[in-house]
Amino acid sequence: MNIIKKRSWDISSSEVTPEELFNKRRNFLKLGAASLVSSGALIEALAKDNIPVANLKYLKDKNINNLKLNTYEQITTYNNFYEFTTSKTAVQDLAHTLNTDNWEIEIDGLVEKPMKIQLNDLTKNFTIEERIYRFRCVEGWSMVVPWNGFSLADLVKFAKPLSSAKYIRFETKYDEEMFPDQSRGVFATIDYPYVEGLRMDEAMNELSFLATGLYGSTLPKQNGAPLRLVIPWKYGFKSIKSISKISFVDEEPINTWQKTNKREYGFFANVNPNVDHPRWSQKRERVLGKFLKQKTLMYNGYEKEVAHMYKGMDLRKFI
Amino acid sequence: MKRLFIYLIMLLPLVLLSTQILYFENVADPIKYIYTVTGVSATVILFLSILISLFKKPINFMKYRRLIGLFGFFYAFLHLINFVVFDAELDFIFIIEETLDKPFIYLGMLAFFILLFMTITSTKRLFKKYKSYHQFVYVALILITIHFIMAQKSINIMQLMYIVMIFIIAYCKLLQKIIEKNKKLR
Repeated sequence: MNIIKKRSWDISSSEVTPEELFNKRRNFLKLGAASLVSSGALIEALAKDNIPVANLKYLKDKNINNLKLNTYEQITTYNNFYEFTTSKTAVQDLAHTLNTDNWEIEIDGLVEKPMKIQLNDLTKNFTIEERIYRFRCVEGWSMVVPWNGFSLADLVKFAKPLSSAKYIRFETKYDEEMFPDQSRGVFATIDYPYVEGLRMDEAMNELSFLATGLYGSTLPKQNGAPLRLVIPWKYGFKSIKSISKISFVDEEPINTWQKTNKREYGFFANVNPNVDHPRWSQKRERVLGKFLKQKTLMYNGYEKEVAHMYKGMDLRKFI
Repeated sequence: MKRLFIYLIMLLPLVLLSTQILYFENVADPIKYIYTVTGVSATVILFLSILISLFKKPINFMKYRRLIGLFGFFYAFLHLINFVVFDAELDFIFIIEETLDKPFIYLGMLAFFILLFMTITSTKRLFKKYKSYHQFVYVALILITIHFIMAQKSINIMQLMYIVMIFIIAYCKLLQKIIEKNKKLR
């Protein structure tokens, strides 16, 4: 029997013009343009928010869960990017030193053909789509972001890993000119370069995503331009920014936060309201822009898609 | 004149906090912002209150030490109210569970209750009786410092400088105490 599974980002064959278009004459032009490239949720946001003109072409996300998007401003002015500063509001002003021109991605380790490739040449190989995902930070705040990018599984297939590759290891670029905190030696906030990792089945999961944009335009520097990982069922620190190296390895990588404090941060970092951080509860979260909190969902609301990968694992032990 | 000056300085953080949140509304995570501003204010003011007895020259603020201490308590109180009302939304079972479970929370709570005790016994009549117990402010400051370090995901340069400053202050105070003791012995 062939079961057709409808995914939240599938495109229905009967795309109709969103009815907002008929009702909002004032924004007709802007909206008219937006409707060619974006979903209904985006149109609402575009109408009232100062978002850069969309410059990406992508497949739309139907947003079947009706997630309410955070504004472009909220997403781009509240960032954890320790390479610049630990202040989440100051990153936007400092991030200009990040130079994304001629960005190279190195793919190495247990692959058929290790390579160094220009990012533009790499992304040509993939379908760019939109994914509207919840994003939950380990610190207890969250947002909903319309990312643009491509499926991580597609990149894995492109890289042709050997059967001995069990994990993927990601590395943020190391460049003291671009990232002030990297040049602070012993006074640096964390160890650089930032490292993250995924088990191969996690990487191949349909939700795992590499983002090159948000809200239909190129990823802002403070959000991890030009290429970042987005793993929506894990705490935000897993979604490594400004990737320059992707390695296929046979051992579980030690990610930066685990190395910094392994009692508090683990390799898996799955969003789990029932397992507290040693210093604070993870039961609830504050959506940016809201004053009161909401309940945190198991696996950040993606239980259906990911729970099977962690069957039989002690989630208190494998944090 | 001095009193007015103290009031103005001490209320600055509250003014900053209120205008940012209520008027500019440009704070992405208001509860965290309230934690930071009230926590930093309480810490800095309480350290100021113990510095007063270190420097009696050029200006002697001894007369205003109680007032400054009370402002320290005031910000600590706002900090706690933020936790109880906004963060935990008056869920007292959750608050008690968290307080018993997490060192980060119970250190802060302990410090707060020391300050509360000092505030209650800061009236002229009670202070005479409980004066010696006001030495507990040093215990509270140690707890607050640990609580502040624990609040960080990792320590950056600025925070490192605060911590170094705290150690310098602690050293000066110790030195002062030792010198005073020796004077008494003579």
